[in-house]
Amino acid sequence: MTVLYAGIDAGSRTLKVVLTEPGGRGIVSAVVRDQGIDQDALSGELLERLLDQQGLRRGDVGAIVATGYGRRLIRFADAAVTEVTCQAWGVRRCVPDARTVIDIGGQDSKVLRLKPDGGVADFVMNDRCAAGTGRFLEVLAARLGVRLLALGDLSDRSCRAATISNMCVVFAETEIIGLLASGVAAEDIVAGVQAAVASRVAAMAGRNLPEPIVFTGGVALVPGMQTALETALGKPVVVAAEPQLTCALGAAILASQRPLEVRPPHG
Amino acid sequence: MSVRARRITLDEWDRRYVELRAAGLCEPSYGGPLRRHAAAGDRRLGKLRMDNSAAALRLWNFLLTEEQRLHQARARGCRLLGTIKDLGTIPVMAYALEDVVAFYPDGAWWLPCLMENQTGLLEIADAMGVDESFCPVRAMLGAFVRRAHFPIPDLLTCSVGATCDDVSAIAQRLADLGHAILWWEVPHRRRPEPGEEAVELPGGFQAPACQVAFVRAELERVREVLQAWSGQRLTDDRLRAGIRQANRVRELLRELRRLGYGADPCPLPALEMLVAEMLAIHFCSDQQEAIGVLTVLLDEVRARAAAGQGVLPSRAVRVFWVNPVADLRVMNLLEDVGGRVCGTEYLFCHALDAIPENRPPLEALARCALADPMVGSPVDRAERICREASDFGARAVVISRIPGASHCALEGLVIGDIVRRRLGLPTVEIEVPPITDALEPSLRTRLEALVETATAAP
Repeated sequence: MTVLYAGIDAGSRTLKVVLTEPGGRGIVSAVVRDQGIDQDALSGELLERLLDQQGLRRGDVGAIVATGYGRRLIRFADAAVTEVTCQAWGVRRCVPDARTVIDIGGQDSKVLRLKPDGGVADFVMNDRCAAGTGRFLEVLAARLGVRLLALGDLSDRSCRAATISNMCVVFAETEIIGLLASGVAAEDIVAGVQAAVASRVAAMAGRNLPEPIVFTGGVALVPGMQTALETALGKPVVVAAEPQLTCALGAAILASQRPLEVRPPHG
Repeated sequence: MSVRARRITLDEWDRRYVELRAAGLCEPSYGGPLRRHAAAGDRRLGKLRMDNSAAALRLWNFLLTEEQRLHQARARGCRLLGTIKDLGTIPVMAYALEDVVAFYPDGAWWLPCLMENQTGLLEIADAMGVDESFCPVRAMLGAFVRRAHFPIPDLLTCSVGATCDDVSAIAQRLADLGHAILWWEVPHRRRPEPGEEAVELPGGFQAPACQVAFVRAELERVREVLQAWSGQRLTDDRLRAGIRQANRVRELLRELRRLGYGADPCPLPALEMLVAEMLAIHFCSDQQEAIGVLTVLLDEVRARAAAGQGVLPSRAVRVFWVNPVADLRVMNLLEDVGGRVCGTEYLFCHALDAIPENRPPLEALARCALADPMVGSPVDRAERICREASDFGARAVVISRIPGASHCALEGLVIGDIVRRRLGLPTVEIEVPPITDALEPSLRTRLEALVETATAAP
């Protein structure tokens, strides 16, 4: 019987499900979908779909670990582990010598410092406000009437990034409106917002970040953000392969371990 | 110790209370079921998990009947002294007097939490210009205006200077409203310069002798006012007796901390430890009873430690906690995710140190006041935190920021940085407003991730 392991990352904006082989040797199949209200049902459907694609059934899954903001809501998972731990495991699989992880998601951002053995030495997460998260970019895209992933093309054309002085997303939106009204080019505003997000994350990360620095999360998919981060940090940044899936991959790797020494999701 | 130690809900406490009564529980005058406090408005109790011992019942009842006790004291003819922003100095002087009851109006900062924002106290403060850019201690201003909680004291004292910008601003607003306030100043504690006479302070700090002399002179001024106000002589002998009493409370608390934070498994939940520690600064307006409450609590903890009984699994991760929380529920949360508090720095650690008894009493109190973590550099705070976290065997540190609190704005960064550098411990900074229900998932993630980080590595 084929045994696979599943990791479910119930993030604030998207649900990610990953199936791996024993030992988490590679991603067999994965899916990303926008979040819904019933995360338990939605992630169950996604898992079933992935299994169908592989011609497998739920009984072929050895264990399931849920992670992310909604991890405790995934009732069929065998265990729940935080995104900090899962991200470290997932990144280590993709970039074995990674020493720093910068993860920027839809509603939060975090910086993990890893030990040489890949374990988490320490981490910081953004405060309650949405500054330094993908939400900032979403607000910008909505205001400019463009798709999120199109922001990179716009920022590439910028000659002079606009200065966004407010870190609060609500106030920054007002600034964006003001800049647009003043005739500042959209590409300069995009470059300015990307620089502001990167600068916020760099401030949160602190000094002396060990390298290599790996960039994960949905925002890593937005063209221009890697460069913005490199500029803010003054260091090279590597975007993980499948940056949106590393956390779910880490969860799947943990699921494949025996014994599963993590807390039950509803404990 | 009659049943297995554990944390129980308010519903479970209803049953537990009946059992205790049936078993012959003797209660003080303020005793009774915890449910009555929830029914009277302290709704947060319904969301907390509390220790199941009779000693904890007495502790909670003592805490939650303070307003009643103050009203009774006034009815008896006692004079009430409100000691604002005072972490254990003027109350020691006040309790050396007869028929004077000192209390800590700042304690009102927990009312929005306990009453789940049904008090309207923060809204009153907002309307008076003391909005959420200030620490939740602004609830005190609302309590003075509403007059529905503690009785308005006959005299207020307030320490100012380097103590706390938020409280100073709030107290100034109170003064504008006509409340008589005796201000006394504590300067920013600095390290003695070369050639300057240095004085040892509790907690391992030093200050120049001139600063100690300054604070002592301030306390002399307070003594004179208290004498005139109470009509009693506040002699050095009386002060010495007051210091001995305060030291008795501090001694009990130090032993409670040693056992409560040191024993494995954890013999008393973080919540009850927090409430107990707070007695160091205000005695819940009855110093003698505070000693009784702490003695019984310590007996319970000793019995549990001797029996190897705890309220949490022995594998719980030892976490050092910095700053008090505005929402008590967060102390439960750390334990729910596999942590346990193994040491604290709630901004009044100097009130746990013994007041020197071999010095003139006002000089001894001046030294203590200058050891206040809030009047020194955050580097000093960090040093003490590192020392104690190390002594208590902490594996992680939580720095709990108080929203709006001027002291927390940047101190957390400094403390976190030093703790990481010196101890190499994972450290997380969280912000805890009076009601955290909507933030529970994100707070849980931070605390749980900290516990995971401290326990495991890939």
